[in-house]
Amino acid sequence: MKAIRVQQTGGPEVMQLAEVPVPQPKPAEALVKVSVAGVNSIDGYFREGRLRTPLPFIPGQEGAGVVTAVGAQTKLVKVGDRVAWSGLLGSYAEFVLSPEEHLVPVPASITDEQAAAAMIQGLTAHYLVNDAYKLKAGETALVHAAAGGVGLLLVQMARAIGARVIGTASSEKKAQLAREAGADEVIVFTTHDFESEVKRLTDGKGVDVVYDGVGKATFDKNLNVMRLRGMLVLYGMSSGPVPPVDPAKLSEKGSLYMARTMLAHFTATRHELLSRTSALFSMIAESKLKLHIAKTYPLAEAPQAHRDMEARKIAGKLLLIP
Amino acid sequence: MKAIQVKQVGGPEALESVEIPVPQPKANEALVKLAASGVNFIDVYFREGRYKTSLPFVVGQEGAGVVTEVGAEAKSVKVGDRVAWCGLHGSYAQYAAVAADRLVPVPPGVTDHQAAAAMLQGMTAHYLSHDTYPLKQSETALVHAAAGGVGLLLVQMAHNIGARVIATVSTEEKAKLARAAGAHEVILYTQSDFESETKRLTAGKGVDVVYDSVGKTTFEKGLNILRPRGMMVLFGGSSGAVPPFDLVALSQKGSLYVTRPTLANYIATREELLARSAAVFSMVATGKLQLRIEYTYPLAEAQQAHRDLEGRKTTGKLLLIP
Repeated sequence: MKAIRVQQTGGPEVMQLAEVPVPQPKPAEALVKVSVAGVNSIDGYFREGRLRTPLPFIPGQEGAGVVTAVGAQTKLVKVGDRVAWSGLLGSYAEFVLSPEEHLVPVPASITDEQAAAAMIQGLTAHYLVNDAYKLKAGETALVHAAAGGVGLLLVQMARAIGARVIGTASSEKKAQLAREAGADEVIVFTTHDFESEVKRLTDGKGVDVVYDGVGKATFDKNLNVMRLRGMLVLYGMSSGPVPPVDPAKLSEKGSLYMARTMLAHFTATRHELLSRTSALFSMIAESKLKLHIAKTYPLAEAPQAHRDMEARKIAGKLLLIP
Repeated sequence: MKAIQVKQVGGPEALESVEIPVPQPKANEALVKLAASGVNFIDVYFREGRYKTSLPFVVGQEGAGVVTEVGAEAKSVKVGDRVAWCGLHGSYAQYAAVAADRLVPVPPGVTDHQAAAAMLQGMTAHYLSHDTYPLKQSETALVHAAAGGVGLLLVQMAHNIGARVIATVSTEEKAKLARAAGAHEVILYTQSDFESETKRLTAGKGVDVVYDSVGKTTFEKGLNILRPRGMMVLFGGSSGAVPPFDLVALSQKGSLYVTRPTLANYIATREELLARSAAVFSMVATGKLQLRIEYTYPLAEAQQAHRDLEGRKTTGKLLLIP
């Protein structure tokens, strides 16, 4: 089968198209013919070596496809099932092996592209607003990078709950995307200070929750824009890691809460994985959640996809088609 | 009137018995004739100068008594009302002028001694178990320093909610107190490692919440015994301040939450102060919350009260009677 292989970590060019054997499922695994693979910034981290895995490896953490073979002990999936997954390496290929409990069924109302595009970012947005901090109607949320992959979905879900959403974005063009997704207010942080703007927009009260995938660049100011007993949910650190935090800061700024979350902990049981994906797919099928698929590339053009992702020129989801 | 004043910060001897004029209530204040004043560690911190206030000052942050005079704009109380308060200086005295909107009514089923004993520690235990992390039936909480002032009340409230309580204490005598308060399991941390014991007692799953007033010596291990998405509630630092910590620990250990609450942020509005004190007084009046008033001292013996408190020989509440 064709696959993208990384033999040495580095820039986009280290991703090379290779011909490798189709893997054989172990007893509790399924073999899936990949129809679409999602491109995520975490793929770049593995490619660069910032996140480590043994070499060589096939990148890609997310995809959708059809089960073509199953191991002897599988119970949850069967040949012919349309499935999607996230959180396992190897999706940039014609076939991928997965432990069966990581595969979720894709309903007929959802296309393969939609399923692949929604798994990581959609599930992330879903756990953030429903579980990491359960957002309620009438509350106010600050969403950083509101025009980003997770951001646009988070804004839509927060709005659907009935919360007020203040977004931040780096350009007026991105601000427009965030507004279209439902953000009540968007702060272009390159021209306006988000701390003073959020204070102004909340009459000095601050927001109930900050959803932050940015990290280092936004951290200190985040602590100044929350209401008493508000919560900072850090789900990523795209600008770099936050330096160690003095817990006294949290009391000084008003008995604040802080969480550093990862999707894996919010899809840890089969039950939670299934209920979360099915809630997500329903929102997509009912058009309550609009995915923003920007571009699809043939598998061989994975390096170009990474270049485009890392240049941050394209807003929206990038997909590879094996 | 008689009062205990600090003219220069220092040891217990800095507490001077003085004769000073009865304070005149300002427009928004009421004058309270004190029946009992609570002794707290925060009084020691102010006496030592670790917390700053202008000198000289009348010590004491907690008391109960009767309103004898009200300022022109003080609407929330009237002469003759039995009241209690906390968080404002001046309770080590026969009279104190207190902001009227910080005074709460004391119901007939609660004695002056009980009211003075319950304000700081009782409301602290209440906000911790009902708001900071609202404990639910059948959840498991780890309570450090469970035989301490807040600890014994927190254990009772958690037990009354129906949660399982794992307590840590330093001696067998304190273990008995914690058990009597309703702790299901008590770990003598001087004899066994609370991390491994808690893991054993929860079959490796970890607890839903850690209530930690100890700080420096317990914080890190506390993170190791939380279930995924569990919460660390750090509400004091009796062993020293927790140094800055790396947020990566929170994600690696399971998308954990950390908060550093203070009572002031949980009684910030008059509405919340009234609701919280009423809830605590109702528990006291109905016998659901047992206060442990260990010693009462005449006002003039404030020095001895501080020596006893700092010697950590006491396990219950100390009161001064003017």
